Amino acid sequence: AVWASVEFLGFLCSLGLGGLSVCLGCFVCLVFFEKMAALNEKKTCSQRMENFKRFVWNPDTGQLMGRTLINWVWISLYYVAFYIVMTGLFSLAIYSLMRTLNPYTPDYQDRLKSPGVTLRPDVYGEGGLEIYYNASDKNSWEKYVTTLHKFLSAYNTTAQHANINCTSEKYFFQKSFLGPNKTKYSCKFTSDMLENCSGLANSTFGFPEGQPCLIIKMNRIINFLPGNGTAPRVSCTAQHDDFSPLELQYYPVNGTFNLHYFPYYGKKAQPTYSNPLVAVKFLNITRNAEVTVVCRVIGTGITSDNPHDPYEGKVEFKMRIQD
Amino acid sequence: TSQSKQMGLQEVIPGLTSARAAEILARDGPNALTPPKSTPEIIKFLKQMVGGFSILLWVGALLCWIAFGIQVAQGVASAFDNLYLGVVLALVVILTGIFAYYQEAKSTNIMASFSKMIPQQALVIRDGEKREVSAEQLVVGDMVEIKGGDRIPADIRLIFAQGCKVDNSSLTGESEPQSRSCDFTHENPLETKNIAFYSTTCLEGTATGMVINTGDQTIIGRIASLASGVGNEKTPIAIEIEHFVHIVAGVAVSIGVLFFIIAVSMKYKVLDSIIFLIGIIVANVPEGLLATVTVSLSLTAKRMAKKNCLVKNLEAVETLGSTSIICSDKTGTLTQNRMTVAHLWFDDQIYSADTSEEQTTQSFDQSSQSWAALSKVVTLCNRAEFKPGQENVPIMKRVVVGDASETALLKFAEVILGDVMGIRKRNRKLAEIPFNSTNKFQLSIHETEDPNDKRFLMVMKGAPERILERCSTIMINGEEQPLDRERAEAFQTAYMELGGLGERVLGFCHLYLPEDEFPDTYPFDTDSMNFPTSNLCFVGLLSMIDPPRSTVPDAVSKCRSAGIKVIMVTGDHPITAKAIAKSVGIISANSETVEDIAKRLNVPVEQVNKEDARAAVINGMELKDMTTEQLDEILINHSEIVFARTSPQQKLIIVEGCQRQDAVVAVTGDGVNDSPALKKADIGIAMGIAGSDAAKNAADMILLDDNFASIVTGVEEGRLIFDNLKKTIAYTLTKNIAELCPFLIYIIASVPLPIGTITILFIDLGTDIIPSVALAYEKAESDIMNRRPRHKKKDRLVNEQLAVYSYLQIGIIQSIGAFLAYFTVYAEQGWLPNTLLGLRVNWEDDYYNDIEDSYGQEWTRYQRTYLQWTGYTAFFVSITIQQVADLIIRKTRRNSIFQQGLLRNKVIWVGIVSQIAIALILSYGLGSVTALNFTPLRVQYWFVAMPYAILIWVYDEIRKLFIRQYPGSWWDKNMYY
Repeated sequence: AVWASVEFLGFLCSLGLGGLSVCLGCFVCLVFFEKMAALNEKKTCSQRMENFKRFVWNPDTGQLMGRTLINWVWISLYYVAFYIVMTGLFSLAIYSLMRTLNPYTPDYQDRLKSPGVTLRPDVYGEGGLEIYYNASDKNSWEKYVTTLHKFLSAYNTTAQHANINCTSEKYFFQKSFLGPNKTKYSCKFTSDMLENCSGLANSTFGFPEGQPCLIIKMNRIINFLPGNGTAPRVSCTAQHDDFSPLELQYYPVNGTFNLHYFPYYGKKAQPTYSNPLVAVKFLNITRNAEVTVVCRVIGTGITSDNPHDPYEGKVEFKMRIQD
Repeated sequence: TSQSKQMGLQEVIPGLTSARAAEILARDGPNALTPPKSTPEIIKFLKQMVGGFSILLWVGALLCWIAFGIQVAQGVASAFDNLYLGVVLALVVILTGIFAYYQEAKSTNIMASFSKMIPQQALVIRDGEKREVSAEQLVVGDMVEIKGGDRIPADIRLIFAQGCKVDNSSLTGESEPQSRSCDFTHENPLETKNIAFYSTTCLEGTATGMVINTGDQTIIGRIASLASGVGNEKTPIAIEIEHFVHIVAGVAVSIGVLFFIIAVSMKYKVLDSIIFLIGIIVANVPEGLLATVTVSLSLTAKRMAKKNCLVKNLEAVETLGSTSIICSDKTGTLTQNRMTVAHLWFDDQIYSADTSEEQTTQSFDQSSQSWAALSKVVTLCNRAEFKPGQENVPIMKRVVVGDASETALLKFAEVILGDVMGIRKRNRKLAEIPFNSTNKFQLSIHETEDPNDKRFLMVMKGAPERILERCSTIMINGEEQPLDRERAEAFQTAYMELGGLGERVLGFCHLYLPEDEFPDTYPFDTDSMNFPTSNLCFVGLLSMIDPPRSTVPDAVSKCRSAGIKVIMVTGDHPITAKAIAKSVGIISANSETVEDIAKRLNVPVEQVNKEDARAAVINGMELKDMTTEQLDEILINHSEIVFARTSPQQKLIIVEGCQRQDAVVAVTGDGVNDSPALKKADIGIAMGIAGSDAAKNAADMILLDDNFASIVTGVEEGRLIFDNLKKTIAYTLTKNIAELCPFLIYIIASVPLPIGTITILFIDLGTDIIPSVALAYEKAESDIMNRRPRHKKKDRLVNEQLAVYSYLQIGIIQSIGAFLAYFTVYAEQGWLPNTLLGLRVNWEDDYYNDIEDSYGQEWTRYQRTYLQWTGYTAFFVSITIQQVADLIIRKTRRNSIFQQGLLRNKVIWVGIVSQIAIALILSYGLGSVTALNFTPLRVQYWFVAMPYAILIWVYDEIRKLFIRQYPGSWWDKNMYY
């Protein structure tokens, strides 16, 4: 099965072998340092060299590095045996650990109480996420457009054809595995749901017009039910409202994540699941000025006030559009 | 007349005025020996900062700051972590440095307080009046008065002396008291009679003199400053620790450099590689170990101080344990340092007397009339007196005014007869001739206490042959019998026998003066000797010796079974030395010297095969003419050696000879002249009571009770601490692998970092400290006094077996246990082991906030970081749990834990509890402090490594079982550390 994959066994073996070779190397090193430290006495250089030579190969006793050859064989065999047993014990322990794990849900999700939120295009500069471009300079915004196209390619109809069409406005609970190959169904999310920001009608996502589309994605958490029955929605604000309030257009309408995409049942149950997205079109960005925008996902159970985690429940980015 | 002379003297010499004295004091400085030049405190402190592992840690800190600088320039958000780590590392170095410095300063302070314990006073004439001043205040030109029992406060030229005798033994090694007078007798100040030297003692008489030298200008000051020129050798434990530091540093640096190269060639950024390097160094260096070693040593030093061994230099604690030769003084160390009556001869028979320290009765047959007569002579012909006011003091401890032999006789009589002073009072003394070197006898004439007996009793004592010459009769069973040839021969035999025991023999005789010739009013004149001094009646012989301390024979035999050679070095006569050596077991009962064999076989000494003789008594004169080869030969060929009639300077030669045999040499000494030998020795042991300040300064250890037996307890403690330090180091080194492996796996397999550098410091300086000190309280596994001392160059503190077993076996098991906990924590949170492989770059990417785990969930950077800290905590807890097992197995190296007793060392349990408590506090108490990188850990993760902890215990029990079962086997050779 996936869980005891060949890959990992290979890792364990190489760990064992690597450990063994490293340790044997260390062994020789230790013997060597022991000897070198002992040599650290007031002696002339030539005496030291002589002593060292004798240590490396002592013709009188037939000792190589302080041991006879047969002794080296014995000690190596002992360590080989020791490490085989140790690797075995470790593999056994990992194997039994794997056996105790549920393949669908992890045992604990306490670190994922509230989902993280990310932005596309995700281009980072010195101060974090930055959307800086010159509307008249194609080169300056092309990378954003490419990123978005690439990102949305997972949402074209061919990519989504395995998923079903969902129309319900409620959580899509699935108790049993009704999908193909004992999976659960995933709801379709195609890029055309982003309408003006789908990149289909306007393949430049409004960048040259100075009204760029950005995409907000919420991280997947297994069995997470956002919004407590109300669809969570994205709300973006400019952090310093010295400028005129942002005029925004959200796609899908109201910038909501439809509830039928939740809960997520995990990679094994929903191999074709894709996150629902919300696109935000900025209609009145002041030109030639830096605007800091925070986009929050608003809904019960989604917190965005963790002082340590800037990406929990919100994403912050800077925009500057030049003429 | 002398009284008036002294009175006149004081009138004539008003002494210095206080003002003048103050002036001179300001010019010459106080009258005290400058303590040997000590390194300035700041240098000592800085030395602590760069010694041991400090350099490595400084390098680590420096690398941290460099990394910080570069990262700040690059604008990396987490750059400050490196700054903090650097600061923490520097703090670690500084704190351990301060600690070591404090420890050293503390042990120096013990010494300082010790020398201040006896403030010396001097009676000085200033401004025309006598006053007591501190001896330090004396200046050149001061007039001082000394009397019997005083220590001479400075070099003094005598201008008045009455019966003054000084003990110069600490200066010249002469054990006989030297008389002092006002006469200039020799050009050499050391020889002339009119100079008394600083720090020697006035035994009897009184004297007045002028101070001619003070402080370092005194003869003793000059010798002391010479002694400080002898270089201080490194102590064996310092060599061992250095050796160990080299091993660990070598491993740290080579693994660090190796993985730096690996990291760079694996296309890691150089900066990242530097950070790895720091982690490897921190993981490899046992930061807390040197402090632990210091604490362990000082604990032992404290224990030894309780047993009367005051350790000046902490490291000397162990030196005594590795000692293979002890060169011991005789007087005061092996013996009680007081003459005691050992044998009596009367009625043609030798009786032995009790010579133990606490005698209250004597058990020999006292019914004979001869004894009554002898006891009367002993009591009356004696000038020694108890100082008044000591009625409640045990007789043996009372202070007596008088020379050693007379003191012995007085105490002997007091023990048997009681109230000697009363007896003397009842037998009033009429005339007396004190002992002098031409007469070689002492006599006095008394009334008898029997009111009906009007005769006078003349009693005489002196050198036996001289006394016998004056006798014509001898008392046998209370009756006077003619002293015929047969009787004289019996006397000779007894005299020879007692002399052969090395004892000082005195003869006693008496004579009742006929009443008709010597009526009541007879004017006895000692100058013209108008009374008979021949044809006396010989009463008996008494022989005296400075007897061995009762604890010494046992101590010597303990040394012998511990493989320590005890060599006696004394200034005394060979015969006396040999006798004492035999009685304490330095020369065992059935060993013979070359001379003994020659005598037994009746052949010349030259014909005896030297190798047949186990024992040897070497005279100082012979030693003088010996080449170093000859001395070496003696030291190698004979196991029982006595050096007699040696000058203190020859001690140095003997010590050097022993050191040429690769022996660790302990030397005991008390005189100033011993100080070079004390310094030269691997461990110098000075006598606390009899020792001079110079000797104490040169020594590493001070025996507070001057008792040889204390050395043996010191040896035992020293050996124990060596064994226990081995255990401590083995314990501490083990977890280094469990701390190092995470970095190696992190680099090689690119998994999220299993344990952080700060966390490692919490193990090294937190949980592990008390347990490793606790091992110092471990009892010995077997009788450590039944094995040979360790070989300086072969039996290392940290040997190959110890390092290999700790690093590559137990350390590996620990790492595996800790990694299991790490993988468990990640797996149960959704990151399966195979996902973790190669994840590092993405995992650590601050801008990657939706990494998918094995279940398809997406994680932000902070969510991952928090999980990483949970991993740190789990790894930390696992190491701690396994260190508990490690601590238990380190209690013994050969015996089963169950033989040793799990509960016998309570401190170990304190250690275990502290270890777990600290871990609990760190995880649950400080889990919310972000900077520490701990998180409150789920309870079950504390038990993940438990099976491995048990495995460690079982594995080690098996190891020890095989070692016990198959001694000398391949297993024993490779697995016993």
